[in-house]
Parts: sequence; structure tokens; C-alpha cells
Amino acid sequence: MITLEQKPFEEIEKMTKGCGRLLVLGCETCAAMSLAGGKKEAEVLAAAIRVARKMSGDKSEVLYDAVARQCEPEFIDMTEKEVAQCDAVLSLACGAGVQLLAERFPDKVILPGCNTTFLGVTERLGVWSERCAGCGNCILDKTAGLCPIARCSKQLLNGPCGGSVDGKCEISKEVDCVWQLIIDRLTKLNRLEMLEEIFPVKDWSPAGHGGPRKMVREDLES
Amino acid sequence: MNDMTSPDHDRPPCTMACPILTDGREYIQLIAERKFEKAYAAIRGLNPLPRVCGRICTHPCEGACKRGQVDEPIAIAALKRFASDGPWRGRCKALQPAEPTGHKVAVIGSGPAGLAAAHDLALLGHHVTVFEALPVLGGMLRLGVPAYRLPKDVVDEEIEAICDLGVVMKTGVRIGEAMKLKDLFDQQYGAVFVAVGAHQERKLDIAGADAFEGVVSAISFLQRSNSGQNPKVGRQVAVIGGGNTAVDSARSALRWGADAVRILYRRSRDEMPAAPEEIEEAVAEGVHLSVLTSPVEVLGEDGKVTALRCMENRLGQPDANGRRSPDPMAGSEFVLDVDMVIAAIGQAPESSFFAQELELDQRSHRIVVNEAGATVCPGVFAGGDAVTGPATVIQAIAAGKERACAIDLYLKKKWHPVPGPARSDERERLSSAIIEKTRKFERAKKICLPMDRRLKGFEEVEAVLTEDRAISEALRCLHCFLGAKIDKDKCVSCLTCLRVCPLQIPRASKMGEITIDPFECQACGMCALECPVQAIDIDLHPRGDIDREMTAAMSRSAHPDPLMVGFFDLHGDFGPSDKERLRQEHPNILPVMVFGLRRIDTVDILKAFEWGAQVVFLAGCPVEKDPFPETREAVKQRMARTKTLLNALGLDGERLALCHMPKQGLVDKAFIEDLEERVKEMAPNPMGVKRG
Repeated sequence: MITLEQKPFEEIEKMTKGCGRLLVLGCETCAAMSLAGGKKEAEVLAAAIRVARKMSGDKSEVLYDAVARQCEPEFIDMTEKEVAQCDAVLSLACGAGVQLLAERFPDKVILPGCNTTFLGVTERLGVWSERCAGCGNCILDKTAGLCPIARCSKQLLNGPCGGSVDGKCEISKEVDCVWQLIIDRLTKLNRLEMLEEIFPVKDWSPAGHGGPRKMVREDLES
Repeated sequence: MNDMTSPDHDRPPCTMACPILTDGREYIQLIAERKFEKAYAAIRGLNPLPRVCGRICTHPCEGACKRGQVDEPIAIAALKRFASDGPWRGRCKALQPAEPTGHKVAVIGSGPAGLAAAHDLALLGHHVTVFEALPVLGGMLRLGVPAYRLPKDVVDEEIEAICDLGVVMKTGVRIGEAMKLKDLFDQQYGAVFVAVGAHQERKLDIAGADAFEGVVSAISFLQRSNSGQNPKVGRQVAVIGGGNTAVDSARSALRWGADAVRILYRRSRDEMPAAPEEIEEAVAEGVHLSVLTSPVEVLGEDGKVTALRCMENRLGQPDANGRRSPDPMAGSEFVLDVDMVIAAIGQAPESSFFAQELELDQRSHRIVVNEAGATVCPGVFAGGDAVTGPATVIQAIAAGKERACAIDLYLKKKWHPVPGPARSDERERLSSAIIEKTRKFERAKKICLPMDRRLKGFEEVEAVLTEDRAISEALRCLHCFLGAKIDKDKCVSCLTCLRVCPLQIPRASKMGEITIDPFECQACGMCALECPVQAIDIDLHPRGDIDREMTAAMSRSAHPDPLMVGFFDLHGDFGPSDKERLRQEHPNILPVMVFGLRRIDTVDILKAFEWGAQVVFLAGCPVEKDPFPETREAVKQRMARTKTLLNALGLDGERLALCHMPKQGLVDKAFIEDLEERVKEMAPNPMGVKRG
């Protein structure tokens, strides 16, 4: 999933100040699962903004709602009437959702309530960690299912580097050296010889370095 | 919202076990919320004899109670009595009958079946007359059950309430003798309900039973005793039989001064039909039990009984009903010296008066009815012990209520059989993992009259539960089917509910479908609060209740300024008087009661500040009273998060405080005084106090 975290309230308050009637719009998929921007968080945030406005004498209304996914135009369009009644929308979706909202409602102020953090997994309640960098060219078959692009601080393809000490990365004792994990796992799987193959220089163009990415399935496109 | 297809699926086991489908949860929850008057109203709405049932109901609900799988069942009957006995019952508005229908109904017999039918028929707008053969009302409630179990003023009061609905009671009129059933129809009665009970005792069928003075039947003995006439007991009394009538006779005989009372029962103690707690009390009072013993001959001298010749039995093969037959052991005969024998070996309806008009079972003398309770005579219905043979008070009430429905339909010419509720004896079982994780709480101990006072008369033995015991007992309820309900359309399979449930009840399928077993769930509310898409709500104080409660409290209060909103965990040890004291001593505190602090969300706290609160505090119950102590850390985390938000709002996180309730009472004095001092120094809430 895409993980998100809510922006600090001070930042949200500042960006929503004076923008009139506001709709706090949750997104019920990744943002909800990140416990950052589902309908529940939208309700809490709307209440907090309402309190902040009351304290500063701003009487404009704060509403809240949510849609299943703000990354789908059909869902966005279902909010049309609500959005029409507001001056601004604080979207709790990832950056993709915020932008689609902005595209669909060109004359409204669209604001982001969350920071999009990474593609990751839930370790346990309240703990998420990055697993994928969306580089567009998966090599997990060669690295024992552990991604050095997402999880090596230097994104090394032929690691580890000299900074790997006792299985930890030199940037922090809290961070595992993914190359150590790769070696340990390949050893266990009896496939360590796979590392004898040297990775060539990576082509970063599918990772977005060749400009904004777009995917078209001609067999499906309508 | 949920996918339950069967309408009975969300009925708790206590309801399904009750012949009148009483929802115990409702009044138990209201007692837990210290709303005693509402609890009584909830009981009285369905049951015309709540104070009777609170004392002598055999409480099949308790046998089915889910808590019974964990430790001991909730003392449901004792809670019913608590709610029904309290002084608040007088303040409860009486039920109002519907507009008069113009129909007249005759009820024959004023026992629990007749009274229940009369009550319900009167409420339906029919004009009801009860004909009672005896000079007093109440049937077995008055003449069968001794006053130490059911004081007669209790019976009087409940009958009076039924009379207040316009029911006419005629005593000393035996229908079937001078006046026949058909005569009633001549007098414009549109329907008749025959509920004459089972007052005909079975005769002791052994040699000498009729030959000597001192051999009496239990029914006549109890009728004398219960109407206050000395039944002249002997010194050595033998009571034959193992049912409640036998036990009542034995305990009454002790109270009338018998030196020794012995119950003779042919099977073992486990097979005795009497309620186990009654047997226990009898033994505690000094009644001897001679089980596996049958009398075979009454012996006497000078026309008076002197002894019983008895035989010992051993249990043989189970009979058709599954009960093992008592087989006499050869050579086990012995003689027991007695000067009085009370035979309590079963009763049958006194139905001979109706032999010409109704169909009677030849062997049992019971009145034959169809499945809707109608007899062969059009417009005549029958129910209670007269149809089933001796049963329990709640079964009689159920029969009365069911017949009232059938008669109502009959009178409105919409006659069709009334289908009974679909029942299943299958009990849902909790898994051992849930049982292990469920916190155990001791069942309320009953409070009984000291032994030395019991045998001096017929003073009621068991006292009503004290307020604190009743509240603690009500808080043991595991809230069957009042827990989390998941809206599958909204659920996004985020698994948060699985991760926050202290009992690990939610389950996920491979495709992400989440199910929460409504029987297993104990309504802690964690999942409902943490669900990021608000797909889960809970029937025990659903979402928005806290806000509604706050709004109601604000509109009731005198708008204190500075306002302090206190959320109190209902699991604390406090009563209504503590709430009253808080109101008087700390008028600035607006109390909001919740089923655990885990139910309070950041939104609720923000709303309290929006109401203008200077401070908001959460008072948690002592940990030993918390059914979900493992959730306390989550409450602390949520409060820390809320404080951060308050700081960001410029409201100062110090305005939010978490405290523990004292062992007894609502608030810790030192905490509250300190908070009040701090409030004085605080800048006022910029939003000001909102008027409710």
C-alpha cells in the first residue's frame, strides 16, 4: 500500500486559515489503512479545525466526508455537489488523489492534509516500513526477495558497502543493512552463487528519471 | 448493516431461554448505568409480575447466560428483583390500556397465568373479569409459595397494579359449578381463559395412607400455612417428594415448630425437581434429606401416625424421559419414627367441573388444547398448570401472555394460530481461548436472613441486593449481541479491528472479508473507535451517544462557568448518591458516564471544549474492576495524541487530564481540588460556555 502520515496540525491550520467553507475529504483506501486519512481521521481533523476557527473568531463551516479512492475520477465526481458548496477542500489522500481532485475541480482551492511517505507494509499496529521504490524494473528475483533500491540507503546494486557493520547500516543502528539480509537469506536458500553475477548499471528511466511516467494498455484503452 | 439473516439471531441466550422472551440485557445495562427507574420500566413493560419473578422465578435465563461459560452466570433474577423492589418503582409511569374494544373476557383463576392474561388483555383494551374460586387472589402465588420466599404484600401490590388497569376481580366464584362456561357467553363474554392451575393433589398410594390422622397433603398443608392458619405440625415430620412443593412444605414445617423434618425422595439429590438453591437453603435450615428412599407403609397407633416403613432404592435404567428409575433394594427396609407425614408427590388440575364442557386428558385430568391454546369449546382458551401440569411461575406467565394474544386475535375475528417463537436448545459455545481471555468477576453473593431469625417465623429469607452489589453484578454482563457490527460495504479490510481487539475476535478471510462474531464480542468498543473508515459501530452506546449524552447533560445543567467536563467509567464503584454528591460539591463538573474510557474519542474531547469546557478529565475505574485492562495503554496513547492536538490548537494540553477513580466514589478529592485550583489560574476557554 501507499503509506501516508497526516501533516502536523499547525501546518494544516495555517494552510486552511481564511479559506472559507472547508470540506475535509478522507480517502478510504491507502490513507485509511495508514490510519491517517480515512473518514474517522477526517472527522477528528474537521473538529479540530472547527475549534481552531472558533478560537480565532472565524465562523466559516468545516464539513467532512470521504470517498473510496481519490485516485479514481468516478469517485471524485461523486463529491461534486459537496465540493460545490465549499470554498476549499482539504484532501487526506496521497499526492495522486490531491492532484486528481485539483484536476476535476479547477476553480476550487485544493489542499493536502497528508504527506505521502512510501510504498510499504504494515509491520504491526501503528508501524509501517518501506519496501518498494516503484523503480519500474523489479529485480527481487535476483536479490532473494529483498529490494536494495528501496531498502539500501545508497540504493547499491552490488552491496554491501563498507558501512555495513554487524548487519546494520552506517546511517543508523536502527536500520538493517539490506545487503546483509540478502546474503543471509541466499545462504539459507543455498543460492549464494547468484551474487556472482554483477548487476550492470541500472537503467533509471522506468523509475521516472526519464520524465513523468504514464502507462497505457492499448488492449484495454477506451 | 450486518448480514444476519435470521430475526432471532441477535437475541441473547438469556432471552431465548425465557418463556416470555425477556431481554435481560436491557435492564442489566440500565442498572449498570445507574438508571434504576428505567430498568424497572423496561422490566414492567413486558412482565406484569416483576417482583414475584425477581423472587421465585426459576431463572432459566441464568442457565443460558454466556457469563456462565466463563465463571458464573449473571444473577439475573436478583437484578430483576433489585430493579423492581426499589422505591423508584412508584415513580414509574403505569402502562396505559388501549382504547376500549367493547369486548368482555372472563379469566378463570387468579394465579400467575390468569393475572398475566388479564393484564395483557386489559392493556389491549378488553374488559376483563377474573373469577377466583377461593376467597383470596393470587392462586399458588398466595397459597402455594410460602411468605419467606414471596411476601404476600408483594403479591398484593402486583395484583393491585393489574386491578388499576380496570380488571375486575371476583373472589369466591367457582365457574363450572353453579355457573357454567356457557353461562359466561350468555353474559356477553366474548372469550374465556381457563387458568385454574393444578390444585388437586395426588394421593399417597401406600398401605395405611388413609388410615391414620397426621397424614396430610402438601397442598392443603401449604394452603393452611400460607393463609396464616397453624397447620399443627408434629414433632417428627416426614415430607414425601422432591419438588419445590416438598421443599416449601419442609421449610414451612420447621417454621411452625417441628423438631425434625425429613424429606424422603426416591431418586438421588441430583434428580430432585426442586430448585437446587431451595434444597440448599432447606438443608442449611436443618431439613434432613433422605434420598433414594421410598415409603412403603404408614404405621400408626390409636388412629395416629407413628412411623413410616421405608425402603432404600438404587438407581436403575433410565426411563423414557431419561430419568433413572428407583429400584427398591431387597432387604433394605427400615422404620422411621414420625408423627406427621406430608405428601408432596404431584398435583393435577382440579378440572372435573369442566368435564362436560371441555376435553380433559383421562389420566392427567389436564385440559386439552390445540397449539394456539384453544379448547374444543369455541371461544374458550386454557393455559398454565391446568394444561401443562405443575410448572414454573414464568411458564404460567408465558401461557397467560400467549393466550392473551390468541384471545385478542379471536375477538378481532382474525383468528389464526399464534406461532410460538422459534426456539433452539442449542447453546452457542465460547471458545476456550475467549473464555481464558475473559476477565473473571465474582457473582454477587446473596444476602440472607441470619439462621436464628429464619425459623422464628415467615420473614423473607433472601434480601434484595444492595445497590453496590447490584451495580457490580450488572457490570458483569458480557453484552451478548450488543457488540461490534461491521458494515461490509464500508469495510476496506484494513485489519485494524483484528489488531486492536483485546479478545482477538475479528476474523479475516483471504479475500479480506472481516467477520466479528456477535455472540463472542463483548462490546469493549475498541474496534468501533479505531476503525479508520467508521465501518464498525457498537450497539452498547453506539457512535454519537457520548455527544448526545453531553448535549443532554448540558441542557439539564445550570451552565456552570468555568465548566469542567468529566468522563467517568461506569465500571467504577459509585452509586447515584455519589453522582448527587458530586453535583452538590462540585457543581462545575458536568459528568458524562461511559462504558470504559476506551470509548472516548478525540472528537468527544474536542466537542467538550467546543461546549466551553475549561478542562476535560477522564476518570478511569480501578484496574481491578476493568473488564479490559489491556486496553488502558491505548487510552493513554489516545490521550497523549489528543494533548498534542490541543497544544497545536493553542488550547494547552494541560486542560486534558487522566485520573483514576478512588476505590469507592466518583473522584479523588485531592485530584479534583488540585484541578479546580488550576482552573482558576487558567486563561478562559476562548470559545466561552455554550448554552445547552
